[in-house]
Amino acid sequence: MSSPQDPAKPEALRVGVFVCHCGLNIAGTVDVHAVAEFAKTIPDVVYVKENRYTCADPGQEEIRKAIRQQKLNRVVIAACSPRMHEPTFRRTVAEAGLNSFLYEMANIREFASWCHQSDPAAATERAKDSVKMAVAKVRLMQPLQTIEVPVTNKAVIIGGGIAGINAALDLAEQGFKVYMVESTQSIGGHMAALDKTFPTLDCSICIEGPKMVDCARHPNITIFANSDLVKCEGYIGNFKVKIRKNPRFVIPEKCTGCGECKDACPIEYPNEWDNNLGTRKAISVPFDQTVPLVYSINRDYCIECFKCTEACGERDAIDFDQKPQEVDIEVGAIVVSTGFDVYEPYDMPLLGYGKYPNVITGMEFERLILAAGPTGGKVIRQSDGKKPHRIAFILCVGSRDKQHYPYCSNFCCMYTLKHVVQLKEKYKEDVEVYVFYMDIRSPGKGYEEFYDRARERGVNFIRGRVSRIDEDPVTHNLMVHSEDSLLGQPIEVEADMVVLATASIPKKGSDEVARILNLSRDANGFFMEAHPKLKPMDAPTDGVFFAGACAGLKDIPYSVSQGSGAASRAATVISKPKWKIEPIISIVDEEKCKKCGACVDKCPYGAIRQDADQPAKIITASCHGCGTCVAECPSHAITQMHFTDAQVLAQIHAALETNPEDKILAILCNWCSYAGADLAGISRCDYPASVRAIRVMCSGRVAREFVLEALRLGAGAVLIGACHLPYDCHYISGNYKMKDRTDALKAMLTKLGMSPERFRVEYVSAAEGIHYAEVIREIDSQRKALGKEKIQAENAKLKPILENMLKRK
Amino acid sequence: MPFKKTKSDAADALVLEWVLQVKNYKLNLDRNRCAGCQICTLACPRQAITTQKQPKQSDEPTKKAKVDIDLEKCNFCGICDVTCPYGAVKVIQNGSHDLAVLTKESYPQLIRDITVDTRRCDKECDECVTACPLSLITISKVGYDGQPVNDLSGLSPLAKRRVQVTLDIQKQYCPTCRACEFKCSSGAIKVKKCFEGKLAVDTEKCPPGCHECVDVCPITGTLTLDSKAKVVTAEQTCTFCGACKNVCPKPEALTVHRTKIFHTPVHSGAWNKTLERLTSPSDAVKEFKAQAAKTRRELVLHRFEVEEMKKK
Repeated sequence: MSSPQDPAKPEALRVGVFVCHCGLNIAGTVDVHAVAEFAKTIPDVVYVKENRYTCADPGQEEIRKAIRQQKLNRVVIAACSPRMHEPTFRRTVAEAGLNSFLYEMANIREFASWCHQSDPAAATERAKDSVKMAVAKVRLMQPLQTIEVPVTNKAVIIGGGIAGINAALDLAEQGFKVYMVESTQSIGGHMAALDKTFPTLDCSICIEGPKMVDCARHPNITIFANSDLVKCEGYIGNFKVKIRKNPRFVIPEKCTGCGECKDACPIEYPNEWDNNLGTRKAISVPFDQTVPLVYSINRDYCIECFKCTEACGERDAIDFDQKPQEVDIEVGAIVVSTGFDVYEPYDMPLLGYGKYPNVITGMEFERLILAAGPTGGKVIRQSDGKKPHRIAFILCVGSRDKQHYPYCSNFCCMYTLKHVVQLKEKYKEDVEVYVFYMDIRSPGKGYEEFYDRARERGVNFIRGRVSRIDEDPVTHNLMVHSEDSLLGQPIEVEADMVVLATASIPKKGSDEVARILNLSRDANGFFMEAHPKLKPMDAPTDGVFFAGACAGLKDIPYSVSQGSGAASRAATVISKPKWKIEPIISIVDEEKCKKCGACVDKCPYGAIRQDADQPAKIITASCHGCGTCVAECPSHAITQMHFTDAQVLAQIHAALETNPEDKILAILCNWCSYAGADLAGISRCDYPASVRAIRVMCSGRVAREFVLEALRLGAGAVLIGACHLPYDCHYISGNYKMKDRTDALKAMLTKLGMSPERFRVEYVSAAEGIHYAEVIREIDSQRKALGKEKIQAENAKLKPILENMLKRK
Repeated sequence: MPFKKTKSDAADALVLEWVLQVKNYKLNLDRNRCAGCQICTLACPRQAITTQKQPKQSDEPTKKAKVDIDLEKCNFCGICDVTCPYGAVKVIQNGSHDLAVLTKESYPQLIRDITVDTRRCDKECDECVTACPLSLITISKVGYDGQPVNDLSGLSPLAKRRVQVTLDIQKQYCPTCRACEFKCSSGAIKVKKCFEGKLAVDTEKCPPGCHECVDVCPITGTLTLDSKAKVVTAEQTCTFCGACKNVCPKPEALTVHRTKIFHTPVHSGAWNKTLERLTSPSDAVKEFKAQAAKTRRELVLHRFEVEEMKKK
C-alpha cells in the first residue's frame, strides 16, 4: 500500500541520461553521440553518459556510480523497449538508493534504430524526441512503494496432457496443492492415444500410464476430469477460478470401474478417442487405462433402457439426474497446457480424404497399428478389410502450406518415420513403403539416427509435393501423383493405402481459454508467450504459465521439459508468502471528487466503491492499474500513479515542441499495441519516423484531453493503439471504454472541420508488428497527402475551440 | 477415411449408414412396406424420425405420409426396426440383423401371435390369400406324390383329401390386422393383434368430401365410404397404426387410440417411454401395475415353494 509521497521540500531536479549503443543495434543507425549531445541541452539534465551495453554489468554499474557521485534524483535510460529491461534498471536504480519509480526509459531501439534503418537522420531525430519526452515525464515522477499481496500457495493446471501431468506432479512433489482441469473424460492427452514413441519405439501408454496413475493417487493432486474452465478472476497469487464439472451420469465416488454396465449396454457410437475407427458403448470409458477410472454415459446416444442401472445394482453409481456442478477454487498460479488438435484435411479435395476410404491420417494410422486399438493392431483397409501391401505416406499435409497452415508442425516427420519403421519391422518384405516429403526435419537427440534406420529398412523416400490422388473405383487402390524433385520429373505411385501426416492446429476452444485468462494468441492461433526466447513459459498475464503444445507445437520430450519448467515458474510465485505488485494504481483526490459514481461503472474490475455522500474509494488489491477511471472522471479527481495526466501531457508537449504538423502522436497500450510496435522493430519493419509514441498501460487510460491537447499543439495526426475487440484487452474492457469515448470525439472533431484521417484508433495485437508498420505508413501518407498547409489551416481553425474546451475542463 | 455418415433417399428406400474402419451400421427403410404410420416416430428414443404429409394432387388419391430419419440424431439402436408393425425398417450391423437391443434384453419384441391349423383348411379355398391386404400369405398345395398341385378340380375326392396344404405367412411384415382370420370360413387361422385400441371417425366434423384417411389406410376395408360418402370404420381389422391420423386434415375428426401392446416381457426404461408415447400415460400405468402385480405373485409363489421344500 502506498500513497504519493510528496518530497518534504522541493529539491532541485538532477536528471541523468544514459544513452545505450546496444553494440551496433542502436549505434548502427542512430547517431548516439548526437542524441547524447542533445540530451545535455535539455533543462535539468546534469549528467549524460553513453554506454556500449547499458544492461550489462559494467553499464549498470555506471548508472549506480553516477547516481551516487552526481547525486542524481531522476534517471532516463535511452535504450531498448521498457517491456524488455524496465525491471532490470528498476533494480539497478534501487541498488543505488534511488526510488525505483524515479526512472524512465526512452525506447530508441525498437522504436528508432530498428524500425527506421533506411533513414538514420530521421531515426536520430526520433531518438532525440524520445529522450526529451522521457525527461519531461521523469521530471514529474514521484517515488512510489511496491505493494505486497498475499499468495495462495496452490496451483491449477488447465489440460491434463503429458505437459500438464508433469507440471502437476512436479508441483505436487514440491508440496503444493494442485488442481487439474481436464475437458475430456481422461487425462493423458494425445500421448495416451499413441502406439509407440520415437525414436526409441517404446510403448506410449506404458510410459505415460504410470504417470497418469501417479497423478490420480497423489494426495496433493485433485483431478477435475470432464470439466471446463468457466471463469477466472483476480491477479497473480490470488486467482479465483470457477470450474464446471460436466455431468457423467455416474457418481465418481461410487463407480468401481468394473465395466459390468458396459457389457449390459446395447448402444454403440463412434469412439472419438479412437479417431472414430471403432465404437464404444453409450456407457463406457474412452480407453482401458482411463484415469480417473470412472464410466460416463453419453446422453446423445443413450436410449435410457436403464440396463446399466440394473447391472450396477447395489453399487448404485448411476445417476441419470446428475447436473453440471460448479466448483470455485483459489490458486496462486495457473499453468495452461491445453495442447493441440489434429487437422482433418476435408478441405483438400485433391487428396481425397473423406472421399476415398483408404486415405487416412497419421493419427488414424496410429490407432490402426496399436495392438489395443480397434483392429487389434492389424493394419487393414477400410474398403475391403484386407492388409495393404503398398503404403504411401505424405508429409506436410496442411503444414508449411500458405493456403492452410504456414508453420511447420514440428513432429510429423518424426512420427511418419516411426510409422514406416514400425511397418517395415512388423511386415518386413511384405510391405512396400513410400514417403513423399519436402524436407525431413529430424533435429533431436537420436532423431537423425532414426531417419537412417528408416532408410536402412528399405523405405522409398521421394522428395516432392503430391499434386493429387486418384482412386480406382473397383479395387479402391490409389494412384499418387507427385513430382520427384531430385530427378526433376513427375512420378506416379500406386498404393493400397495412403497415410497423410496432417498439420497439428491450435486446440478448439483456445479462444475461450484466451478470453477467460486474458491471453493473446499469435497469428496461427497458439498462445503468445511473454517473450519468445527469454520467457517461453510465461503468459503476458502475471501468474499464468504455459506448458506444451498450446503455445506452439512440441514433441513429447520438449512438452515434458516444459511441464517441469512451467511447474518451476509457477513455484516461484506460490512458494512465496507475499508477492509484490506494481504501485501504478489509481488514487482518488477526496476533495475534488464530486461523488457522481461514474468511475464505479467504468472500472472493469469493480475495484471502486462509492457509497452515498462519500467520495469514491479504490480497493487497492483489486485495482489493476489500467487508468480507465482516470480518463472517465469528469472532475479530474482520480490520478493513476506513474501515468498521471501531468506526466502524459508533458510527454505530449515534448513530442510536439517542434514541427508538430509533421508528426504523428501515438498513444499505445502497453500489452498489445506497444508490444506490436516493439515487434515491428524486432522484425525490422521499416516505417516512417514521423511517429512519436507514448506508452500507457491501457487504451482505456487515453483521456479526451490527451487527444485535444495534441491537436491544439498542432499534431499532424493522432493514433490510439489498443488491443483487439472484443476480448484481447488486458484489462477486460478498457478498449471498449476507449472506443465509446473516441467515437464521440472523432465525430465532434470531424464536425469542427478536422480531416477525419488525422485521428485514428487502431487495434494492434502483440503479434501484429507488420500491421503496425502498415498503419503508420498509411497515416503518414495520408498526412503527406493532406499537406502541411491544410493541416495548419485546420489547426488554426480548431485551436480557439480546443483551447476553450480545455480551459473549461 | 475413418467415419462416414451417409443418407440416400430414393423412391423405394431410405438408407442411412455409418461407415467406420471396423464397423458398419445400416438402416434400411423399405418405402413400399412403410405405411406412413405413427409407430416408429413415437417409438424412437432419439426423436429422430418425422413424418411429413405429402401434398395432395387434386385428381389422385392421397399419398401416405413420408417418413424421414435424421442422420444426425439416429444412433442405429434398432428400436424402429423392432417396433414397426409392417416390418419396413431393417437395422443391420456388420451385415448381421442381430440387434443389440434384443440380445441385451433392453427392448421387447412385438408378439405376432398367429396360429394356422392347415388340417382344417378347405383344400380348394384360397380366401386368405386374397384377403390379406398386404399380400403376405402364400398357399402351396402338394399332392400325395409330392408334386405341387395347382388345380384341384381335376382330382379325385381321395386325391383331393390327400393334398397337403401349407400356408406361409411372412410374419415379420404382418401387422396382425386379422383380415385373413375373418375371411377364413373354416377357422384355420387365429390371429391376436399386437396393438389393441380404439378407432373412431366423427363424420360430423369431417370436411365435406374428404376421404384422405380412406386413401392411405393400408388395411383395405378398415376405413370405407358409405353411399353418402361418409367415412365408415371397421375397428376389427384396424391395426391402430395411425397412418390415417397422419394425413387427416381435421385432427378432431379422427381418433386413433392405442390401449394395449402385446410384447415379450422385458424390464426396460426405453420401452416404458415408448409405451407411454404409443398409448397414453394412463394406459402405460395400467401395464406397469399389471407387471408389478405379476412380480408380487411370483414372489409369493416362490415363498410358498420354499416353505414347502422346507417341510419336505
